[in-house]
Amino acid sequence: MTLPSISEEDFHKFREYFYRKTGIQFEPSKRYFVDKRLLERMAATDNSVFRSYFTMVRFQASGEELQVLTNLMTVNETYFFREEYQFKCLVNSILPKLVQHKRDNTPLRIWVLPSSSGEEPYSIAIYLLEKWADIHRLDVEIIASDIDTKILEHARKGLYSDRSVGQLPLPYLQKYFRKTRDGHQICDDLRGAVEFTRVNLSEPADTRPYRNFDVVFCRNLLIYFDDLSRKTAAETFYDALKPGGYICLGHSESMSRISSLYKVVKFPEAIIYQKPME
Amino acid sequence: MALIKTAPLERAGHLERKQQRDCSSLERKLADPSAEARRWAARDLLDCPDSAAALVERLGLEADISVREVILTTLTRLGNSVAVAGLVQSMRSEDAALRNEAIEAMKQLPEAVAPIMRNLLSDESSDLRIFAVNILESLKHPDVELWLREVIETDAHVNVCATAVDLLGEVGSQVALGSLQQLKLRFAAEPYIQFAADLAIKRILED
Repeated sequence: MTLPSISEEDFHKFREYFYRKTGIQFEPSKRYFVDKRLLERMAATDNSVFRSYFTMVRFQASGEELQVLTNLMTVNETYFFREEYQFKCLVNSILPKLVQHKRDNTPLRIWVLPSSSGEEPYSIAIYLLEKWADIHRLDVEIIASDIDTKILEHARKGLYSDRSVGQLPLPYLQKYFRKTRDGHQICDDLRGAVEFTRVNLSEPADTRPYRNFDVVFCRNLLIYFDDLSRKTAAETFYDALKPGGYICLGHSESMSRISSLYKVVKFPEAIIYQKPME
Repeated sequence: MALIKTAPLERAGHLERKQQRDCSSLERKLADPSAEARRWAARDLLDCPDSAAALVERLGLEADISVREVILTTLTRLGNSVAVAGLVQSMRSEDAALRNEAIEAMKQLPEAVAPIMRNLLSDESSDLRIFAVNILESLKHPDVELWLREVIETDAHVNVCATAVDLLGEVGSQVALGSLQQLKLRFAAEPYIQFAADLAIKRILED
C-alpha cells in the first residue's frame, strides 16, 4: 500500500483555493509546511487521497474542516509587550490626539487583528491601565479578532508560558497574573476587558460589522498576504476606522507600499498611518 | 471609567443593511452622494461579475480617491475581459493618477493581461506602449522577456525602446543579447540607447 502524498498539482490547487478563502499566500518554499498539515488532516479525516479530502474541504456545508485547516496553517508566534514602542506611541501620542478631537463621550474603540493567543490585546489593556491616566475618565473597548478559532479559545482562557510573559516587567506579571502549575494565568479583570471574536479579514461578510474604531492594530499579518489581498485589507480597515483613526502595522510593514488611502504620521515613538478626517 | 466590553456586532446593530444589496441596486449606489456608500457598493459588487462595465464607467467619473481605490481593487479581483478592457481605457485617460492606478491594477492580472499584451505593445499610441512596458515590470508571466525582446527588435519609438531596455537589463537572460545588439544598431545615433543597452548586456553577462 502506498502512503498518501501531495503532488505538485495538488499543492497548487490547494494554494489557490486557500488564498481565495483567506488571502494567505503560500510560496513554493512553504511546500513542506503545507504538505505536512494536509497529510495530517487527511489521516485524521480518513481520506487516503488528496482529491477526496479536498472535495470534502470545499463542499462541506458546515465549513468545519476548512476552519480546522486554517487553524493549522496560520502562524501564531507572539509574546507580551512585543514591539512595545507602539504601545508607548498609543498612550503617549495616539490617544492624546484622539481625545483632543473627541466631541462625544462614546468609548474609544481599539481593534486588534490578528489577536493570536491574546498577548497583544492584553498587553494593550495593561498599558492603558498602567500608563494612560485618562483611563480613569474615559471608557475604552478592546476587540480582538482572529481567523483561528482554536487560538481564540486559548486567548479567552489567558494561560501563558514563561516565554510568552518573558518581556513583561515583573511588577505587571505579579499584578495581573497568577502562577499556576500550567503556566501564568491572566487575571479575570483583564480577561473580562477584551472581547475576542472570529473574523476572516478576506471575507467581507465577516468584516462588515466592524466599524467606528479609533485605532486598529494589525501587526505582522499582511506580510503573509499578496499585494491584492493587502490592498483589500487596507480598504477594509479604512471603513472600519472613524475619520482621523489610526492604524498600526508591524515594524517591517508599510502602508505606503500598499495603499495611498492613509496619511503617514510620524510620532516620536513610531510611524503610524491615519485615515484622513472627512 | 475603564476598559469596557460590548459585543461588536451589537454595537454595529444600527448599521444593519437598510439598502437592497442586489446587483442593480449596488450599481445605482455607485452614484450615491456619500463616498462611504459608493465605497461599500463598489466592494459588494465583487459578487456581481456582470457589473464590471458599471464599475469602469464610474471609475472615469469618480473623484474620491478612496472610492477609486476600491473600484480598482474590485475590477482587479473580478479580472474578467470587461474589467481589463476598462483598465486599458483608464490607461488612456488624461488623469495621471488614474492611469497609474490602472497600470498598478493590471500588474496584478497576469492571466487576464497576457492575451492582450501584444495588442497593447503595438498600440498606435507610444505613451500606451510605454505604459504596457511598465506593466511588464512586475507582471508575473513567463513571456515577459519575450515581449520585451519583441519591443526592442521592432518598436520604432526611442522612448518605448528605452523603457523596455531598462527592464530587460533586470529580467533578461542571454537569449536577449542578440536583440540588444540589434537595438544598438537600430538606434546608433541615440546615446541613451547605447548606454542602456550596454548596461543591460553587462548585467546579463554578470548573472
